[in-house]
Amino acid sequence: MKILVTAKRVPDPEQKVKFKGNTLDQSGVNWQLNQFDEYAVESALRLTENASSGNARNGEVIVVSLGPKDVQQQLRSTLAMGADRAILVDASDENLDSEIVARTVQKLVEQERPDLVLLGKLAADSEANDVGQRLAGYLGWPQATFACSIEVTDGGKALLVGREVDAGVETKKVTLPAVVTVDLRIVAPQAVKNGVTAATHAYADGPRYASLKGIMAAKKKTIADSSLAALGVAATVRAKVASVDAPPARKAGVKVASVEELVQKLHNEAKVI
Amino acid sequence: MDAFDLENPTPEHKLLRQTVRDLVRDAVEPQAAEYDESATLNRGLLQKCGELGLLGITIPEAQGGAGMDTVAAVIVHHELAKSDVGFTLAYLAHSMLFVNNFFHNSTEEQRRRYLSKVISGEWVGAMGMTEPGAGTDVLGMKTFARRDGNRYILKGRKALITNAPDANVFLVYAKVDERVTAFVVERSFAGFSTDKKTHKMGMRSSTMSEVIFDDCVVPAENLLGKEGGGVQNMMRNLEVERITLAAMSLGIADRCVEIMSKYAATRMSFGKSLAEHGQIQRYIAESYAMTEAARALIYSVARGVSHESRNRLGSDAAKLFAAPVGKMVADHAMQVLGGWGYCSEYKVERFFRDAKLLEIGGGTLEAHQKNITKELLRQIS
Repeated sequence: MKILVTAKRVPDPEQKVKFKGNTLDQSGVNWQLNQFDEYAVESALRLTENASSGNARNGEVIVVSLGPKDVQQQLRSTLAMGADRAILVDASDENLDSEIVARTVQKLVEQERPDLVLLGKLAADSEANDVGQRLAGYLGWPQATFACSIEVTDGGKALLVGREVDAGVETKKVTLPAVVTVDLRIVAPQAVKNGVTAATHAYADGPRYASLKGIMAAKKKTIADSSLAALGVAATVRAKVASVDAPPARKAGVKVASVEELVQKLHNEAKVI
Repeated sequence: MDAFDLENPTPEHKLLRQTVRDLVRDAVEPQAAEYDESATLNRGLLQKCGELGLLGITIPEAQGGAGMDTVAAVIVHHELAKSDVGFTLAYLAHSMLFVNNFFHNSTEEQRRRYLSKVISGEWVGAMGMTEPGAGTDVLGMKTFARRDGNRYILKGRKALITNAPDANVFLVYAKVDERVTAFVVERSFAGFSTDKKTHKMGMRSSTMSEVIFDDCVVPAENLLGKEGGGVQNMMRNLEVERITLAAMSLGIADRCVEIMSKYAATRMSFGKSLAEHGQIQRYIAESYAMTEAARALIYSVARGVSHESRNRLGSDAAKLFAAPVGKMVADHAMQVLGGWGYCSEYKVERFFRDAKLLEIGGGTLEAHQKNITKELLRQIS
């Protein structure tokens, strides 16, 4: 199976954000791979290896990102995890919106002709959650979003995708080629079944670490450069950021003298009981 | 030009640091207090290090290692020691004192027998040099071996041997006709035994004991290098040992600066945070400056150390400087935390206990002072 995975670098969510006018101040930001994209890479690797036989490769994983040259570091980390090659489309974050990203990935899909496109369900910075859906629309491919499990079925021609919904787990069958976005639980020990690795195999929970062997092997893997112009994507940003603000600081609470007063305030002022 | 990154000269070093940080967050930090308390080695964790390729970090890829350099070895010790210094010492005794030393002095046949077992972590390794009556004065060792047909018979005792209670295989120095010689000795060899665990102040998540050779029978094919070649084996490995030990002191200092800064920012006294008191600022600022100086020295020296290119002065200077920095910064952190620093919860007391060993093990401060002076005088005479 040939899989295209998208990867975005995002500011470390643990780091304090700083503002510069109407935008985030990106100087001094610690960039890291969006965690849902890391999960997408992990699921792509699980789909294309035989974990019962020393993780022998059984397919190809291509990781693509849009961003400045520095994103090579994050792409290199996915190659160290085990992805086969990467493509970096030169762009700056200010000049991108979900439509441009989805159109760019569409062009890469037309070039690479993968069986599956795997994406994180959203990026932790913008939380837009729409690139996967747009991409499926542009390609006219079936989609399954927020996957918590993936199982290869019909002799590799389709996937059974589990999705956690309010009422339980919904299972969708999508024929390949398809677009799947992944959620947190896709990296549970037995969330991905590729029909090659023994069904009883249990992975360690979470995305794999880059092993030292993987890090050294990544040195020899390629990160191909591309650009919006080379791919023929119109770079007109249509989604405009109106403003960026920190959430308002929490107001101080009040002390109440008695349970009666508390109940009264909850009833009359907060109107929650 | 890309920004200069002293600690990560190449993208591979940066990825390695991230892998070790991930491991520390998920698997090292959560167990550190427990293994310090029980004074045992976490063998499962050592095995996990093997799965990631950390145990053969300096061994060429063609021989099953990671094929990385001294800076990489420094990164691993630095990051591990921010969390569990005792475990880092066990890691060092295994991967530097045994694996690295063994590799550079062994034959292909010996590598076939031992290398994959110790790189995977299936076997734990240790190195035996120090004796009850001979430490820095290593040539004063009493343990000796005599040739007996196609085997050697070893007699004597080694003391203060890290990993000895857990190790399956030992790199042992003993004298043959008064000349120091290295041997590979398995725990299962007749006449070999280890004594009960040695109790110690810190580094408690690594274990230590005496090793006893009571007419221990070692096959001749386990001679490492040649008879009388032991001192050369020993010296060649010393630099990577010293610089990685120095990196452990740096890890201690980094963690203690972090702990004392966070504490000083939130703890109130006399109506203001501790960090607003000038006396506390001195502890924090001086600790930071010392730590940064140690970092610059260690990483710049590490770039020039490999099995082929030596930097005797640099590695002695790095450990001579960094070991007291680790101890002082841990002491400052404890002073900033006051009573809480003395208690286990804030972890500083553990780092404080661990830090002292680095002024003694792998070369005492006095040994480094002697070496540096001797080398400087040699250069001008």
